Amino acid sequence: MIFILPFVYILLMAVKTKQEAALFLFAWPSEWRAWENLVEVVQTRNYMLLLAYFNSTVITLGAVTLLVIFGAMVGYVLQRRRSPWNRVVYVFLLIGLMVPPAVVPTIWVLQNLGLFKTIHGMILIQVAYGLSFAVLLYRSFIASIPRALDEAAIIDGARPWQVFFRVILPLLKPVTVTLIVVQSVAIFNDFTNPLYYLPGRENVTVQLTLFNFQSQFQSQYNLLFMNILLVTIPPLLVFVFCNRQIVAGMTSGGVKG
Amino acid sequence: MSSVVLSDLCKSFGAIDVIRGVDLVIEPGEFCVFVGPSGCGKSTLLRLIAGLEEATSGTIRIDGKDVTDAEPSARGIAMVFQNYALYPHLTVRDNIGFGLSLARRPKAEIRARVEAAAEALQLTHLLDRKPKELSGGQRQRVAIGRAIVRDPKVFLFDEPLSNLDAALRAQMRIELSDLHRKLGATMIYVTHDQVEAMTMADKIVVLNGGRIEQVGSPITLYDTPASPFVAGFIGSPRMNLYDGRAVGESCATYGIRPEHLKLTDMAPRWRGTVRHVERLGADTVIHLDVPDLGDMVVRADGDRNPPIGSMLGISPLPGREHRFP
Repeated sequence: MIFILPFVYILLMAVKTKQEAALFLFAWPSEWRAWENLVEVVQTRNYMLLLAYFNSTVITLGAVTLLVIFGAMVGYVLQRRRSPWNRVVYVFLLIGLMVPPAVVPTIWVLQNLGLFKTIHGMILIQVAYGLSFAVLLYRSFIASIPRALDEAAIIDGARPWQVFFRVILPLLKPVTVTLIVVQSVAIFNDFTNPLYYLPGRENVTVQLTLFNFQSQFQSQYNLLFMNILLVTIPPLLVFVFCNRQIVAGMTSGGVKG
Repeated sequence: MSSVVLSDLCKSFGAIDVIRGVDLVIEPGEFCVFVGPSGCGKSTLLRLIAGLEEATSGTIRIDGKDVTDAEPSARGIAMVFQNYALYPHLTVRDNIGFGLSLARRPKAEIRARVEAAAEALQLTHLLDRKPKELSGGQRQRVAIGRAIVRDPKVFLFDEPLSNLDAALRAQMRIELSDLHRKLGATMIYVTHDQVEAMTMADKIVVLNGGRIEQVGSPITLYDTPASPFVAGFIGSPRMNLYDGRAVGESCATYGIRPEHLKLTDMAPRWRGTVRHVERLGADTVIHLDVPDLGDMVVRADGDRNPPIGSMLGISPLPGREHRFP
């Protein structure tokens, strides 16, 4: 009920007229305006929502791809190679998890690197924020893969990158699916980070389009809720389709040879 | 068929010396078994030959070529692991052909060689299954198939049968011996199971504390062990070993195998109290308490069943006693 009721409320609000929505009642709409609202939301500010979808998708795809590849690679090296540096790297990973990011210095760094207000700068920010979690997740999963598999591949003539891409990475599928779902929903839904690091009309992301219908003097709640509805759908689809794999990934133990 | 020659091979992990100067010649086509207790360095020695560990000093020659610093894949070896190490995401066919596909052999050739290996190991009907759908013995055969298909100069086995149940282990011992005869390849086999060592080996290498205690054929090691350690390790139940003075001998250690003791009432050398009896069917293993010596194990006929606490007389068979200086 906790999840469904608000969703039903969003659904009802999204199909009302402007006047009716302003009453904020949990009531059946007297007039159905689903299509009109939808068209208006999409067309607002020169099809800004479509641009936002594009930007958010690019950021999500880019960041999650990098997270999976780097997370798995770093996790693999950390787990397999015995080195005094592991401890140092591990401390940095924990710092990455625990210390909250500082916005202003980050913007300063981005400006100096010429990455501020750019999509790829935003991708790197998301990767930096998510990498610690990804590495730790992969590292613990890789610990359950017998080292003999690596050795068998080496004896079969595999180079180190072949051991990783042809033997280890395919075995990481359950945890990779989990990571993809969790991170892509988080990044797609992210509101604050794009707000700080990605200002500018052409850089808008989906969550920021919600500002379109809220202003100091006038708010169009029916359109706002239609916008919310449209923005919620992609993560919802991901969850619906990947539900089983997520559970499998979180509960699966080792890899049996 | 290739020889393997180890000269003054050493391996240390930090301050711990695991292999301390091993010199060994394994002849072409030989089935050589490394045995020893846990931690004696037998697996490390095998991994050094495989190239999975780097030697601290010394040289390894395979087929006359110095491979001490060569990559594992360049040594002409194949290895079968204790837990099989099959790639869980690949079918049996892809598991066996993995090395060939890494070497970018033509598809038709891979197919032909995988099928030939599968045929030899009776795996043809399983080629499209994943490892998790196979039984322990089948997985072991796939692991052996993966080794065969590489056509190696030397096969390395790291306790390959220790995960199988007793009946399957006996069957696989025979299959491995058959395979050795059929291929005629040099094989090096690590085990802690002395039955495997005795039944399969042309040559047994007994390791202790990173050094070779003795090298020889199974019967040589059984008949003329060079040290009390080898004497105690080869043979089951293990040899009775006593301080020389306690049995009235001039040697440091005196040894007699359970099967070389006979129960007799006619002027026995020792008398002992029966403490425990293990009836195995074909024979009976009797544990006795002998005053001044302690535990003594005797292998007697299967129909002997002395009551616990009874007194028995024991004498060694002449010529079968071992005296270690």
